[in-house]
Amino acid sequence: MIQINTTEKQQHRKLFVTWAITFLILFPVLILLGMLMRIKQGEIIDISMSKFYSFMTLHGLGMAGVLFSIALASLSYLLGTRYSKISVSLGYYVYYGVVIGVVGLVIGTLIGEFGAGWYMLYPLPFKGAYWTDWSLGVSFFSILILGVAWLIQCLHILNSIAKQYGGFKNILGWQYLGKSEPAQELPSIILISAVSVLASVFAVLAGAVMDILFLMQYFEPSLELDPLMMKNIIFFFGHTIVNATMYIGIAWLYAILPEFTGRDWKITKVVAIAWNATFFFILFAYLHHLYMDFVQPLALQYVGQMASYFSSVPATAVTMFGVIGQLYRSKVGWSMVPVMFLLGVAGWAIGGFAAVVDSTIAVNRALHNTLWVPAHFHTYMLMGIVLIIFAFLYYIGANENKDNDIEPGWGFKTFVTGSYGFLLMFYLGGLFSIPRRFSDYAGIDTQVIHETGALLAKIAVVFITFILIGLASMYSTLIKKLLQSLKFQA
Amino acid sequence: MSLVILPLTIQTTAALVSLLGTLLVVSVVVYLFKTSSDYEEKSSAKAKVYRMRDRYFLGLALTILIVLITSLSMLPYPKFHKNPDSVVTVVAMQWLWKMAPEAIAADQDLVAFAGKNEITLPVDKLIEFRVTSADVNHNFAIYNSKGTLIAQTQAMPKYYNNLQYKFTEKGEYEVLCLEYCGMPHAYMVAKIHIE
Ligand code: HEM
Ligand SMILES: [Cu+2]
Repeated sequence: MIQINTTEKQQHRKLFVTWAITFLILFPVLILLGMLMRIKQGEIIDISMSKFYSFMTLHGLGMAGVLFSIALASLSYLLGTRYSKISVSLGYYVYYGVVIGVVGLVIGTLIGEFGAGWYMLYPLPFKGAYWTDWSLGVSFFSILILGVAWLIQCLHILNSIAKQYGGFKNILGWQYLGKSEPAQELPSIILISAVSVLASVFAVLAGAVMDILFLMQYFEPSLELDPLMMKNIIFFFGHTIVNATMYIGIAWLYAILPEFTGRDWKITKVVAIAWNATFFFILFAYLHHLYMDFVQPLALQYVGQMASYFSSVPATAVTMFGVIGQLYRSKVGWSMVPVMFLLGVAGWAIGGFAAVVDSTIAVNRALHNTLWVPAHFHTYMLMGIVLIIFAFLYYIGANENKDNDIEPGWGFKTFVTGSYGFLLMFYLGGLFSIPRRFSDYAGIDTQVIHETGALLAKIAVVFITFILIGLASMYSTLIKKLLQSLKFQA
Repeated sequence: MSLVILPLTIQTTAALVSLLGTLLVVSVVVYLFKTSSDYEEKSSAKAKVYRMRDRYFLGLALTILIVLITSLSMLPYPKFHKNPDSVVTVVAMQWLWKMAPEAIAADQDLVAFAGKNEITLPVDKLIEFRVTSADVNHNFAIYNSKGTLIAQTQAMPKYYNNLQYKFTEKGEYEVLCLEYCGMPHAYMVAKIHIE
């Protein structure tokens, strides 16, 4: 724990509110891109195929990147104001790096029409045929800038908490694994930060390797990379970064929820083991993305399914039961923050459950690359980590005081209802074998797929409208509260 | 257990299981909302939850063990393959499928390979599709006439993925590309007739 003075805290606040407002602007814009995709698939308005895929690419990269960024920024704020020294001026460099990266991606996709999908499966970026050559360079450079910015912030966090809490082994909670209780207690947020940020470092490094290989290929077109190896790198990056985003959110959940329930949430041996195991499982679960590559070594396919299954154990038995232990008969006041935490964890559980089902090889052969896949990750993203992030925003908006937290209103209810309706259409798409990443379903001869796909997309558009209306209503109070929070006095 | 409107397929089974999982989560959430006003002292409430957790942990461990053992024994991979009755080469290319009922040499020029986007194959025979790509990643996915995805494998440049499948019903099947491969990806279709 550290003590900082009011000026320092105000500087942290200002940086965080800058992040928050940026996030609140980008988020609905990215949703709008998702809506346009469904509008095209639902045959409501015709959008060109090239636009569709550029929107898809920007939506995917943008959402994954923006959520990871705001998660890092939220964690940095909480750590920097309470637990260890986090640099605000470095934070601004990271902020501008991310902004430049995002602007670059917007230019690359919307003007240069880059559209290789957020996962940019090698060698598609170089053989896509429709996007401009320069859009490749701009997009790869932008991703590199994002990667460098994230890497700097991640290493800074790790370094800072390791310094404050007795070194690297200690922040991973290894002192809890021995027989005797450790002399000094480690706050649970530190352990989870260490695990999730370290996983992020691995992911970002893999992403950087991939991006640098892409840049080499860009400048030297004769270069040929192995497609299977590239697939492994790409999915390691994508899967791990998205999972790490969720775990970063869980870190502040462990710290903030107890303030609302009045029950502490400490590290025990079980918690320490669980989070170390989680770290291990996160790194290997990505293999479930390569089940349909029959040439991938068989042992890795087994590891993929086992790691995916095992990752459900610490997540449910420790973290989710921890949340239940926090809330059960706690007389918690159901204001915005605890409600969002609870629903966020529930969305994580529901999406995670659907993910584990799909991570069964015998099931994946029927669901791989159908809408089932985006269905499950949109659940734990939109109804999981997004809610946990909004909980943090409301918490700051309430000036970190539970008595200032507001009641959930109709806007929030509309947002959640719209989201689950939208997600249901996604799952039904998976159930009916509707392929993912299809600009439209008109090229499919089997009528029932064409018609079902278009119908589900049409209904999804209605639900997305609810999402946007709900958000608009939430924004009107949230932004006001965030701006007011800048003027706090100690 | 089979629904009236939906036949029991991998897809419907997965959806039913996921629905049950969702209902479980929803009931826990509703229960927490409902009971939160009956205050219980921290230590006794936590003790109850932890007792539950221990039982849950055992149940989960057992479930995982059973599902892993049963589900990892029959996989679509070469190690589990049998001798096929016939072999079909499938070459994916932006944005078409080339299929021919023959094996091809490893050094065959894939762009020049003369296959058709339509093929007739026998019913009740074990077919081995040897799937590759001449350019980017694609995914060879077979749909039956009811629109259900019944088998798939990736089509990767430089690699062959061998997919074995026995069609037990005559009729028309459609091949879709399930890996995004560029602008007309959604229009990359082919036909399989089973007689
Ligand atoms: C209301 C909010 C959202 C809407 C309406 C929406 C809509 C969509 C749609 C329509 C697709 C294309 C699915 C397909 O046909 O294959 C998609 C893909 C995707 N979405 Fe979202 N989405 C939303 C939120 C999110 C969030 C919160 C994330 C966070 C990571 C996210 C990440 C992605 C990614 C990574 C893809 C895949 C892109 C690709 O295939 O390259 N989305 N989304
Ligand atoms: Cu294709």
